[in-house]
Amino acid sequence: MTIKALHEALKNKKVSAREVVISYLDKIKEKNGELNVYLEVFENDALKQAKEIDERIASGETPGELWGVPLAIKDNILIRGKIASAASKILGNYVASYDACVVEKLKKAGAIFLGRTNMDEFAMGSSTENSAYGPTKNPREASRVPGGSSGGSAAAVAGGLAMAALGSDTGGSIRQPAAFCGVVGLKPTYGAVSRYGLIAMASSLDQIGPIAQTVEDAEILFKAIRGKDEMDSTSLEIRNSKLEIKKIGIPKEYFSAGGVSAFGGGDSLDPQIQKTIDEIVKKLSQNYEIREISLPHTKYALACYYVIMPAEVSSNMARYDGIRYGVRQDAENLAETYKKSRGSGIGLEVRRRILLGTYVLSAGYYDAYYARAQKVRCLIAEEFKSAFEEVDVILAPTAPTPPFKIGEKINDPLTMYLSDIYTIPANLAGVPALTLPSGAQLVAPHFEEKKLFEVGKFIEHG
Amino acid sequence: MAIHKEEIEHLKDLARVEFGEKETEKLAKDLGEILGYAEQLKEVDVSNVLEMTHSVDLKNVFRKDEERGGLTHASNLANAFPEKEKNYLKVKSIL
Repeated sequence: MTIKALHEALKNKKVSAREVVISYLDKIKEKNGELNVYLEVFENDALKQAKEIDERIASGETPGELWGVPLAIKDNILIRGKIASAASKILGNYVASYDACVVEKLKKAGAIFLGRTNMDEFAMGSSTENSAYGPTKNPREASRVPGGSSGGSAAAVAGGLAMAALGSDTGGSIRQPAAFCGVVGLKPTYGAVSRYGLIAMASSLDQIGPIAQTVEDAEILFKAIRGKDEMDSTSLEIRNSKLEIKKIGIPKEYFSAGGVSAFGGGDSLDPQIQKTIDEIVKKLSQNYEIREISLPHTKYALACYYVIMPAEVSSNMARYDGIRYGVRQDAENLAETYKKSRGSGIGLEVRRRILLGTYVLSAGYYDAYYARAQKVRCLIAEEFKSAFEEVDVILAPTAPTPPFKIGEKINDPLTMYLSDIYTIPANLAGVPALTLPSGAQLVAPHFEEKKLFEVGKFIEHG
Repeated sequence: MAIHKEEIEHLKDLARVEFGEKETEKLAKDLGEILGYAEQLKEVDVSNVLEMTHSVDLKNVFRKDEERGGLTHASNLANAFPEKEKNYLKVKSIL
């Protein structure tokens, strides 16, 4: 059932919020043991919230669009009074003392939270295998990963364990799992959604966004969570843009043999994905002009990202020291207490990135790595800007391959990183991007999410 | 590109993290590979390009200096503290 369908059913009193929540809770009981999608299920709260919704409808109130919608929330988004562990041991006992901006908005809108979902620890990973609480399985094929880092949220929606979900996306963490699980995922424009109450990974790249069954549902959720928030100084009100879509751009470097995905030894674009994209291009050409464009610097996006991201990570992760909250490991002196608490509480991939970030920010290396990466990032962003003078929306793949097997890439970080090669450019440039269940990715200029929904719906319905 | 073991040890100190012996060995290899990959950035001509600071244009704004509700959850913060004794929050001595 979609958000849209539930809304109609509630309005016409065809179904109660309680019935719907119970059906999801039953599905969770049946499947969660196998899939490991939820780290915690808020059964009593969800039932209580559903009862309130039903009472309000019975008393004659007209239900809002999100009333009674059972959502899954990624474990790095704070819900007051609930544990928010970011799938890390060091925050295993951390109880959120306030609501994230998006959570507050969704509560007011009448949505129901089913539970918090599994993820790669502190959102660092592309397979949800980096969770301190075990990997999540892909509901479409249990031997394969659901993608990451919002793997739990994407799997919840794909497996029918939630109607929709929230995830976060720093380098593809909403879109790549959406593609792997066959659902819709949106990374909004940087600043479109407040990050207040999101456990930070790389602050200049992080965005919260919806994962849903349909483009329309993603749009409904996005409209509910977006907007300027005083608690996030980088958040902005969406400016109204003209909705005129004539030209769709296809970046040639993304598809050519030895193109972006093969750059630096990654997998070249899977033939099946190429075929899917070709079919979509054919469909789009009925309604839009298709134009080949060039984004020559995007091949440097991954290298750029793996300098900037760890730099920001190393500084954001400094706060997890076991002193004020989280898990503390006692040692002889303060410095050792830090080292031990962080050594045992934080997983290998996160520590690896902390060290990498410390390295690229060190005196003597800063200009060679960090400053240079920020300059290349500027070129990548400029390239998008000029491309959008030529076309209205860009079509690209989300991931170079279909979901890989659990365990296949976990011991080789660089290979794992390469699975984000098509998603990272949008984060670096701050532009919005929408992934469709087919794995196609649409990219639009800053604050023009509307164009993504429009083209997304055209692809969905024809 | 390889990273020396001493350098790794120094970074561990700077970042206040611990790694096991095997982890450290693999770390030197992994970091070398990742940094080797980042070497590509050297191919790009960045003369006359400024470092990017924000992906979206932002202007600094100030809100009115008005009094408003502060933290009401001080007890939550105290509850989250890992080590306590009687009415005190406990940390290692710094000096």
